[in-house]
Amino acid sequence: MGFNTNKLIMRKILLLLLTSILFVNTSFSQAKKPTIMIVPSDNWCIINGFVMEFDNQGTKVKIPNYKKAFQESTELLLVISTINGLMAERGFPLKNMESAIKTLEANSAEESMLSSKEASMGVSESPIDKLKKVAKADIIMQLTWTINRTGPEKSITFILQGLDAYTDKQIATATGTGDPSSAAELPVLLKEAVLSHIDNFNASLMSHFDDLFTNGREVTIRIKKWDDWENDLETEYGKDDYELGEIIEDWLADNTVKGRYNTTDATENMMLFEQVRIPLYYERNGKQRAMDTRRFAKQLSAYLKNKPYLIINKVMTKGLGEATIILGGK
Amino acid sequence: MKTIKSIQLSSIILILSLFAYAQTANAQKGKKKADKETIAWRYELEAIATGVQGTYQIKAWSYSKNVETAIEQAKKNAVHGIIFKGFPNKGRIQGQKPLARDSQLYDKNKKFFKNFFKTGSGDYMKFVTLANNGNIAAGDRIKLSKKEYKIGVIISVNVSELRKHLEDEGLIKSLSDGF
Repeated sequence: MGFNTNKLIMRKILLLLLTSILFVNTSFSQAKKPTIMIVPSDNWCIINGFVMEFDNQGTKVKIPNYKKAFQESTELLLVISTINGLMAERGFPLKNMESAIKTLEANSAEESMLSSKEASMGVSESPIDKLKKVAKADIIMQLTWTINRTGPEKSITFILQGLDAYTDKQIATATGTGDPSSAAELPVLLKEAVLSHIDNFNASLMSHFDDLFTNGREVTIRIKKWDDWENDLETEYGKDDYELGEIIEDWLADNTVKGRYNTTDATENMMLFEQVRIPLYYERNGKQRAMDTRRFAKQLSAYLKNKPYLIINKVMTKGLGEATIILGGK
Repeated sequence: MKTIKSIQLSSIILILSLFAYAQTANAQKGKKKADKETIAWRYELEAIATGVQGTYQIKAWSYSKNVETAIEQAKKNAVHGIIFKGFPNKGRIQGQKPLARDSQLYDKNKKFFKNFFKTGSGDYMKFVTLANNGNIAAGDRIKLSKKEYKIGVIISVNVSELRKHLEDEGLIKSLSDGF
C-alpha cells in the first residue's frame, strides 16, 4: 500500500517536472511580439485643422498637432478605440498614442528646449519620429478618412495603412468608400467603415507575419568607426588579406536567413546594411530564444572582438529594428 | 369478406409506407446532392451589408430542386464560403478574404469538416442565423430548369466566433500565433 502511494507521488512529481520543462521550452521559443500603434495621418490632421505651422527658413511648414487632435476630435477617439477593441480581440492590443504623447510631454525641460530650438532651425526630427522614439512601436497603423458629401448624402472613404516603423515599408493595407447614407450619423458610418475593413487589414498583416516567420525579421545594421581608431573598413585582416568590410559582409551572408541582406552604402568609414533578414530564434544552452536586432548585432560584435580580428566595438540599438556597431572603442 | 377487407387495408398501408419511404429517400438524396455541390464549390456568396461587430451579412445562392433543401444548404454554404472561398466586393460593400489561408485545409482535415458540416448535428449551425426568418425575396428564387432552382438566402454568420472555433481546433492560425 505504502509502496504504491510512493510510486504514485513519484509519478506525479515526474509529470510535473516534464510539464514545467515543456512550458519553459515553449515560452522561450516565442518570437518577440511586435507592438502596434494607431496614428492619424498627416493628411487627416491637416484637412481637419489639427496642425502647427512654423516658418522654416522662409518656408511655411505644417506639422500635425496630435495632442489637439485627441483633445478635440471625438470621431478620432471612436475610430481608434473601435480598432483597438477589435485588435485586442485578435490577441494584439495596441499601444495607446494618447499615452505616448503624454510621455513625450513629460520629457525633461532641457530636451523640450532643444526640440523647439531644432524646430525653429529646420526640423531634423518630425513629430512622428519623436513619437516612434517614445512609443517604440514596431508597426504604425496610419489612419485616414474623408467625408464625401453628395447633396444630403454622405459617405466615408477610409484608408488604413500598416507601416513598418523601421523600414517605413507598407506591410498591410485596407481601403474603400462606404455606401452613401442620408440618415446615418457620422459615428455610425465611421464604425461601419472600421468593421468592414479591419478583417482585410488583418489578413494582409498576417501575410506579413508569415513572411517574417519564413524569411526572418527585416532590420537595419549600421557599421561606423570612432574617429580616433587607427584602422578602417578597408584595413586588411587575416592570412587571406580580406578587407574588414568584406569580412563583415561574409559574416552577414552566413548568418542571415537565406543569406539575405542588402549593402546600401559602404565607404572606408561606414557601412549600411538594409533588408537584413535576421532569424527569429537563436540557440543558447540548448534552448531556443527569441532573437532581436540587438542580439544579432551582439553576435557580429563578438565575432569582430574575438581572434583574429580583436576589434573592440560598441553596439547601440534603436528599438527592435535598428542596430549600430561602432568600431574601435567602447 | 373479412379477409378481403384486411387485404385491402394491408395494401393501402403498404402503398402509403412505400410512398413515405420514397419521399424520405428523395429528400435524403437531395441533401446528399446538395452536400456534394457545396464541396464542389457550386454556390455563390454575395455581400449584402456590413454586419454588426463580429458578423458578416451575406446572401448565399444554392442550387437544388427543392426549395427547403436549398434554404438549409444555404447555411452550410455560407459558413463553407467564409472559411474557404471569401466573397467579393459588391458595389461599395466590402468583400472579405477567406479565413483559411491554406488551400489544402479541407483535404488535410476531411474528417473534421465532414462532422462540422453534418446535416442536423454539425457545429456549423452554431454560427449562422437566417435573416428575414428565412423568407426568400421573389427575385431570389430562380428556376433554372424543370429539376433545378437557384435560391438566394440572406444569412448572418458570426465570423468572430467561427474564427475562434477554428483557431481553438488548431485549423487556422491566429494573428498572434508564433509571438
